[in-house]
Amino acid sequence: MFAAPVLHSEWIKIRSLRGSLGSLVAVFAVTVTVTVLVRAAAGHTATDKGDDPLFGAFYALTFGQVAALAFGATAFSCEFRDGALCVSLAAVPGRTRFYVAKTAVVGVGALATGLVTTFVTFLAGQAFIGSDALGLGEPGALRACVGGGVYLALMALLAAGLTAVLRSAVAVLSILVPFLLIVSFVVGDVAGTAADLMPDRAGQQVLHQHPSGALGPWSGLAVTAAWTAAALLAGWWAVRRRDA
Amino acid sequence: MTSIDIQQLTKEYGTRRAVDRLTFRVGPGRVTGFLGPNGAGKSTTLRLVLGLARPSSGTALIGGRPYAAHPRPLHVAGALLDPRAAHGARTARDHLLALAVSNGIAVRRVDEVLELAGVATVADRRIRTFSLGMRQRLGIAAALLGDPDVVVLDEPSNGLDPEGIAWIRELVRDLARAGRTVLVSSHLMNETAAFADHLVVLGRGRLLADTPMREFLDAHSTRRVRVRTADPDRLHAALARAGHTVARSGDGHCTVDGADAAEVGAVAAAAGVPVLELRDERASLEEAYLALTADETEFAATPLQEA
Repeated sequence: MFAAPVLHSEWIKIRSLRGSLGSLVAVFAVTVTVTVLVRAAAGHTATDKGDDPLFGAFYALTFGQVAALAFGATAFSCEFRDGALCVSLAAVPGRTRFYVAKTAVVGVGALATGLVTTFVTFLAGQAFIGSDALGLGEPGALRACVGGGVYLALMALLAAGLTAVLRSAVAVLSILVPFLLIVSFVVGDVAGTAADLMPDRAGQQVLHQHPSGALGPWSGLAVTAAWTAAALLAGWWAVRRRDA
Repeated sequence: MTSIDIQQLTKEYGTRRAVDRLTFRVGPGRVTGFLGPNGAGKSTTLRLVLGLARPSSGTALIGGRPYAAHPRPLHVAGALLDPRAAHGARTARDHLLALAVSNGIAVRRVDEVLELAGVATVADRRIRTFSLGMRQRLGIAAALLGDPDVVVLDEPSNGLDPEGIAWIRELVRDLARAGRTVLVSSHLMNETAAFADHLVVLGRGRLLADTPMREFLDAHSTRRVRVRTADPDRLHAALARAGHTVARSGDGHCTVDGADAAEVGAVAAAAGVPVLELRDERASLEEAYLALTADETEFAATPLQEA
């Protein structure tokens, strides 16, 4: 019943920190810029013949997701410096209420930014291709735009939950970024089904026009959502149980 | 009015008892000084009172219920715990605004407390540019945001200049005069003596004293009289006959332990000795406090041994 003031308060905390607000803007700016630059430079050839052209349209999301992780991590890590959590919990002593409000603001912020990012990326990128361009009416295109936005929000929340457990954005980002960008990328093509269940690979199924492998577009996103839910539950437990 | 009630409060970290079966009450309308050596458990107690840490056993209530059970707690109690806690990248105004909004406090109150704490001119600067003293003032502004009945300040004079310290002194007195419950922890005795009406003293997590300031001074200091006379020899003899021990100093003064001015004056009058100066010497709060906590200091330096 006191949800609205706490949500508003958490939004003020995020928008008043350059780091948090900056990473949210970077999700959009990085993804769209990389897409436009790559398309402008390479044009049609950017998409290999054999690859899924729809997935190729979201190539730059690999970079945008790092900003999403940074957003989720910094939005929480600011509470774990120099007793800031004491001030926050003195104002909102209900730990669950505090955690849910913060998570909701991170999730909604990332989802809104994510959706704008995927739609703009898709439309702007296709504008460079000419006659072979995909439209939103293309099978799977709308699903990929919506799913991609959800994917970015899930990534931000994954980082947020882990930060609540580890209490440090640096620790979380130095685990997640190598894990998602390197391990999954290297191992990905080699190992079969196990790598398909990694949070990033599973979730990115939704960006393919014709997803290959065991997971479909939505079931893949559901696997990522399960990873995120696990991180958020662990974070909830940590915030509730630990002394501030 | 609202008071703080602490009952059998205990907090253990592993095998160490930071707070050990504390029971005391902090009443309204007076400033309660919260004293104790470093590591005595003062800050832990304050954190337990504010629901930031969970007690191992016992209770700490504000206005009859746990702090966390108040729906808009900043209206009930305001606290300054750690001046570094405000995020350096935010402006002072945004820091207070986020707190105010969470408790349904009017936005104009943010400007009021910024003004009250003397940081209105730097309200839109990032907190990382603040000195420790300015951060203390911002922390006090945050504590007063909800116009609470209970104000808890942990070492508020840290980092403040003399003007700031005088400001704190007046502020806590004004708050108490307005009927509020004011608890101020400190390790600065002269400071505490200047504003506290009541004292709660901790040592190694246990309660050592919970008394009015005046009683504390009387109980923990020896009575002593300083007297100057034109005829020290006769006065000494008279005092010795009356059973007093006299310590003599070079310049014609002497001090009489365990007596007060009335007794010494009567002895001198009976002996017909002219007295030039006569006054009670009272121990300072610092002396009284050190006498009480001598055995309870966790981190004490041993005097350097002469070879």
